[in-house]
Amino acid sequence: MNGVIRTENLGKYFGELAAVHAVNFALKEGLFTSIIGPNGAGKTTLINLLSGYLFPDSGRIFFQENEITRMPSHKRVKMGISRSFQIMNIFSRLTVGQNILLPVLSRRNKNSSWLAAINSQKDAVKEAETILQEVWLWEKKDLPAGELSHGDQRLLELGIAVASHPQVCFLDEPSSGMNPIERVKVLELVKKLAAERKTTFAIVEHDMDVVFSLSDWIVVMNRGEILAEGKPEDIRNNQEVRDIYLGEEI
Amino acid sequence: METLAFQGLVGLSLAMYLWLLAAGLTIVFGVLGVLNFAHGSLFMLGAYFAFTFYGLWGVNFWLSIILSLLTVAVVGYLMERLFLRYIYHLDHAYQLLLTFGFILIFDDAVKMVWGGVAKIPAMPSFFEGTVSFWQRPFPIYNLFIIGAGILVALVLWLLFEKTWWGRIVRASASDREMASAIGVNIPILFTGVFVFGAMLGALGGALGTPVRVVAPGIGAAMIIQAFIITVIGGLGNLKGAFVGAIIVGVVSAYGILLFPVFELFLIFVIMAVVLMVKPQGLFGG
Amino acid sequence: MKKNLALLVLIIFLFLLPILVGKYLLYMTIHILLLSLFALGFNLLFGYTGLLSFGQAGFYAVGAYACAKVLLVVPSLLAGIFGGLVVAGVAALVLGILCIRHTRIYFSMLTLSFGMMIFSLAWKWRDMTGGDDGLVGIPRAPLEIPGLLKLNMTPMENYYYVVLIFSLLAIYLFHRLVNSPLGLTLRGIRDSETRAACVGISVVNYRLLSFTIAGVYAGLAGALLPPLENTVTPPVAHWSHSAEPVLATLLGGIYSFSGPIVGAFLFYIIKDIIVRFTEYWLICLGVIVLILVLGFRGGVVSIWERKGGQG
Repeated sequence: MNGVIRTENLGKYFGELAAVHAVNFALKEGLFTSIIGPNGAGKTTLINLLSGYLFPDSGRIFFQENEITRMPSHKRVKMGISRSFQIMNIFSRLTVGQNILLPVLSRRNKNSSWLAAINSQKDAVKEAETILQEVWLWEKKDLPAGELSHGDQRLLELGIAVASHPQVCFLDEPSSGMNPIERVKVLELVKKLAAERKTTFAIVEHDMDVVFSLSDWIVVMNRGEILAEGKPEDIRNNQEVRDIYLGEEI
Repeated sequence: METLAFQGLVGLSLAMYLWLLAAGLTIVFGVLGVLNFAHGSLFMLGAYFAFTFYGLWGVNFWLSIILSLLTVAVVGYLMERLFLRYIYHLDHAYQLLLTFGFILIFDDAVKMVWGGVAKIPAMPSFFEGTVSFWQRPFPIYNLFIIGAGILVALVLWLLFEKTWWGRIVRASASDREMASAIGVNIPILFTGVFVFGAMLGALGGALGTPVRVVAPGIGAAMIIQAFIITVIGGLGNLKGAFVGAIIVGVVSAYGILLFPVFELFLIFVIMAVVLMVKPQGLFGG
Repeated sequence: MKKNLALLVLIIFLFLLPILVGKYLLYMTIHILLLSLFALGFNLLFGYTGLLSFGQAGFYAVGAYACAKVLLVVPSLLAGIFGGLVVAGVAALVLGILCIRHTRIYFSMLTLSFGMMIFSLAWKWRDMTGGDDGLVGIPRAPLEIPGLLKLNMTPMENYYYVVLIFSLLAIYLFHRLVNSPLGLTLRGIRDSETRAACVGISVVNYRLLSFTIAGVYAGLAGALLPPLENTVTPPVAHWSHSAEPVLATLLGGIYSFSGPIVGAFLFYIIKDIIVRFTEYWLICLGVIVLILVLGFRGGVVSIWERKGGQG
């Protein structure tokens, strides 16, 4: 079965540098997938290409067998693809609640509604509140998002990413830059969201414990190409993969 | 046909003032990331100071140019150190607002100091006279301007491509943190580049002294020309500034000849076309 | 509650104004209302959408000249005002398509350039705009709804009420707009256009919408000018006029609803005072901009809110 989102010979080049080269990636529906690899392997670039933040120089991208290679991001979101960012990208002057409300309104196509007050969109507001509770941010819903702690901002990032009810959701290093306690919390949330929602998650992650405990499928990238992919046990035993991690305990 | 060729030459000399103006603007943007709305005003100040030294006080022509550059360098230094420096960390909008405030100040300041009347001083004797091109008289001074513009282009190219200083500046432009990490003193570099850019703009103004009208309002008119050039050529790109200046200069000259009164509008149309076809400019990336 | 009461008192005061003050202050109040509308539109772009435009005077001028042209042919005030704001909106839509796809810095550059393009047209196109003499003899046409009513506008008090009612309606519409999902969407685009795209918002479309609405508000303010002054001249399109809503909004407060209106009021007070002492008004304006940018970026409203006033 082809992946719910897949690429054919995808390439992205910055001058001489091949950030992503000849990549045939397929995300299989329902399989929690981790994308791992050393720094500079092309993981974030791949996500940028899949989400529409960048357009490829070569190759094609398909979502449910519809070609979306050069489709702008906002249209991909409407189709059911979403992502979170490694570097925090929230609406900092809006409240936490409003941060979640925007993707909800977008999914309901209510963004251009201009005569009625926001609060009159009762269904949307209710849906946003449910999501806020899901991501453990309900008590902080009236705080300006920029004033949240780093850890809570990460939870908000996740909330925004899933608020559009995506079919596939790419999380780019969801726990990066966090202290151990915050990390646990974020990864718990990822686990919870993956279990409770009908979304297929693909995460870029460096923590091997997390990768091996959460994933149904692992994709290993190196120097812009896919080196190997498979079930966690297969990857654990793959000599090439062990080599690029230079004998780290994986 | 000969009229067109001659007018092209006129346009070329016009383009050189614009090149000096746009070069300064684009260098400051490329390195500091700041779009100095008041850059046209620095051009204007260069013109006013040169006019004062040469036209009012009778100082030697070359010395007047140099003194005018130095004076504007001081103005630029004060602008950067006392004002601009404090808002680098803020949203770009505030940098634009601040430099916009400076346009307002400079525009009125020149009215206060020099009065609102336009003036043109006498041509220095060694530049008097014309040369014949296609049976039409072309001022020798304009030839000098074309030469000066090309010389500056060569010097800038050498400076940025071939010298150590140029390499440091280019490195800092593309990665400020890295440059700082290898020991480049960013604050001093920024001040230096800003002053350098200001002097280029002032040079453009000063060189116009014996031929161009010096009047309030030039500052705003020039910054708009500079914007059009950078839109056409690509912001932060010196080659783009040079080509853009030539395009604007030559088109202006043809505009004056063929569509008088609407020549400025013609330039806007060219800009609009470039915007639609290649939004980041001819050499932008 | 207290805020609504204060607002009610203010509105009543404005309706009673012609009885309370003389012609000069009434005239100034009309100008304050025009600048309020002008600045509100500007701030929809800047405070709410994150786009800094230095060319709004271009649309003000389009509104003014369009209204004047209409009134010179059809002496109906409503035709003039609506004609002005519609033409200004169309102009904003067209120029917006050119400007809006760019980064914020390019956008600001382009708005200054296009604003001055309109100025140069107003100044040079004698046949259409009267050149630097402008259009004169514009009647303060009667407010006419055919078959229903016809109100004479010659007394300034009557015209003041027309301006006041248009202004209140426009401000009310603006209030609904910024508190609607559309307003929230614009603010999201302001805070992070990347994120906005990633939640399904078409950033270009919403920016264009914001730009067009800002142009309509500028055009409305402009269209209300010719019946008052009976003339329209090119300076209304000049970049120094574009500076007025910028300063008013900075003064009052960028991130607040009432900031532009408060700022418009303060602007006229300050201008009135300064102009008595010196003709070099632009220098003072520039210095005020510097002080605000360096020290008081939230404007007057933020200072007031910080002191615990009703925010």
